[in-house]
Amino acid sequence: MAGKPARPTNAIDQTRRMLSLVTYLRERPGARVGDVARAFGITEDELISDLDVLPLCGTSFRGGDLLDIDTDGDRIWWHNPDDVAEPLRIAADEATALLVAARAVSTLPGLREGDRQALLRATAKVEAASGEAAGASSRLSVTFESEGGVFADVDRAISERRRLWIRYYSPSRDELSEREIDPIRLVSVGHTYVEAWCRRSEARRTFRLDRVAEIRILDEPSAPPEVELRDLSEGLVQPAAEDPEVVVEVGPGGRWVAEYYPHDSADELPDGGLRITLRTPDPTSLRRLALRLGGDGRIVSPEDLADSARSAAREALAAYDAPDGLEGVEDRPYEGREQGL
Amino acid sequence: MAIAKAERLMNLALCLLGTRRPLSKRELRESIEAYLEAGSDDSFNRMFERDKDDLRELGLVIETVENLDGEVGYLARRDSNRLPPITLDAEEAAALGLAAKVWQQARLAGAASGALQKLRAAGLPEDVDPYESHGALEPHIPVHEAAFEPLMLACRDRRPVVFDYRKATAVRPETRHVEPWALECWRGHWYLAGWDRDRGAERVFRLSRITGKVRARAGRYTAEVPDVVTVRETVAGWAGEITDRSALIRLRSGAGYPLRAKAVSVRELGGGWDELEIPYGHGLDAWLVEFGPDVVVVEPAELRADVVDRLRAVAKG
Repeated sequence: MAGKPARPTNAIDQTRRMLSLVTYLRERPGARVGDVARAFGITEDELISDLDVLPLCGTSFRGGDLLDIDTDGDRIWWHNPDDVAEPLRIAADEATALLVAARAVSTLPGLREGDRQALLRATAKVEAASGEAAGASSRLSVTFESEGGVFADVDRAISERRRLWIRYYSPSRDELSEREIDPIRLVSVGHTYVEAWCRRSEARRTFRLDRVAEIRILDEPSAPPEVELRDLSEGLVQPAAEDPEVVVEVGPGGRWVAEYYPHDSADELPDGGLRITLRTPDPTSLRRLALRLGGDGRIVSPEDLADSARSAAREALAAYDAPDGLEGVEDRPYEGREQGL
Repeated sequence: MAIAKAERLMNLALCLLGTRRPLSKRELRESIEAYLEAGSDDSFNRMFERDKDDLRELGLVIETVENLDGEVGYLARRDSNRLPPITLDAEEAAALGLAAKVWQQARLAGAASGALQKLRAAGLPEDVDPYESHGALEPHIPVHEAAFEPLMLACRDRRPVVFDYRKATAVRPETRHVEPWALECWRGHWYLAGWDRDRGAERVFRLSRITGKVRARAGRYTAEVPDVVTVRETVAGWAGEITDRSALIRLRSGAGYPLRAKAVSVRELGGGWDELEIPYGHGLDAWLVEFGPDVVVVEPAELRADVVDRLRAVAKG
């Protein structure tokens, strides 16, 4: 299933799952493998490997008190069900994981009100059932950022399968552009994004909701081509191997670059800085980064990118050096400090 | 072939849950095949202690009772391990299903599905399939920081920690002794709030700046943990979002949409320029420089000077 990372089997998770499975199976003689796997959010293979272990478990391997659970690959039978299998109370980490996530989702601006209410009711019930175990969940919290109005429109367009018109801001070119998009899904990872088929570029694109300046739901039906959903858990920006390489050297004050930009390598420099190698489909988009870094770093390569940042800075400085270049502000006194380069 | 750990844990859990009287270690060893195969007493004892801890980790309440002969026995009483009655409707079940899959950190992802599975075993409705119904909405909680798990456990167990931390502009990391209070994720990054023992004050740390291992320390907290810990306000301040001042800038027509979106007022100047009043918080100078020749700071003078300094540094680069 899309977006659901495969996890290696962990003995604690598997034990926890098998304990619940036993309880579940007691109530449902002849349960189908496919249904049980779905209810437990696992693959059929994972379920079958649990069913291989269960008949080896019991209160004593000598007395023959083993769980007589077997399957023909389609249905599952437990021939000697006993009362050991009662629903177990929720552990502290389980309560934390579920409650923190539920609270985070319930604060997503733009979430459908019905869903929000259902989440809040469920959260309260799980809290009550967890008792003391719920206490530590207040020590973790997560905020998803979203633009509520834009979110609601995208959500509606997805459920009604309609096309959207947006005016979208692109930071790399510092410009707004109009496009029609067929929305596919909403993804929140800190910020919220809509993944869509962009009719202008005829390609899949991801748009950050807080950069949508205007949005309208169109009457045309949305018809995104069948695309395989990417696993976005490793980040939305996934540079391709063939993208051009950019090398940036930063001082200690520019180390944040390594935190914000996905990169191939970040090597320590003797002054406490970093030499960062990254790839981007459009190196000119990094001119902003070069300008932002100021004295805290510089573009090492490509050379023309470094040049374009330098000339942008010179052009900008000219406005401060020549007050007459600024219509309408001649009457404002300029402070000292700009004595040319 | 060695017996799988999950099988051993499952057997121990069933023995402890199934018994009405405390079982001694000896009895447990005789009942569980993996323990018989454990070899020496030492290796059995180590294995048994670890297994008990693992079962407690997944929520089992295991009691230790001494019998009349002074022998220690163990049991997991039904009434202290039973989930209290809980009834959720289909909508609530679907909502929890969505919440259970947002964690991208192995331990919490496992714990969240574990919780859902326990609820499922207790009769959580399945009419609405939680894994498909909200297909168009995917919230993810990203956890890329290695320091996350040890700090989460330290917050949970209220254990002091030591770690090396490199401040944003520091050349070298510094060792910090912290009593961790709470972790918060904002804009995809994790932050820790806690009591900094060396500075004798509350501090917020960004997890990505922790270098090396987080080590737990013995002992209690020395400072009182506040009822409400606010991380986001501090971080929003760093991000320049808390401000009581404003700046006046000139912006080329059509450029700088995000500046316009934040502007308190916009005035057309003619000649292809607008004048904007915008909130002036921490980091505004660096942001304005990104727009190159499309932005000119009018006032305050301090901001003009900062922007000019930055532009000079780039021009010289």
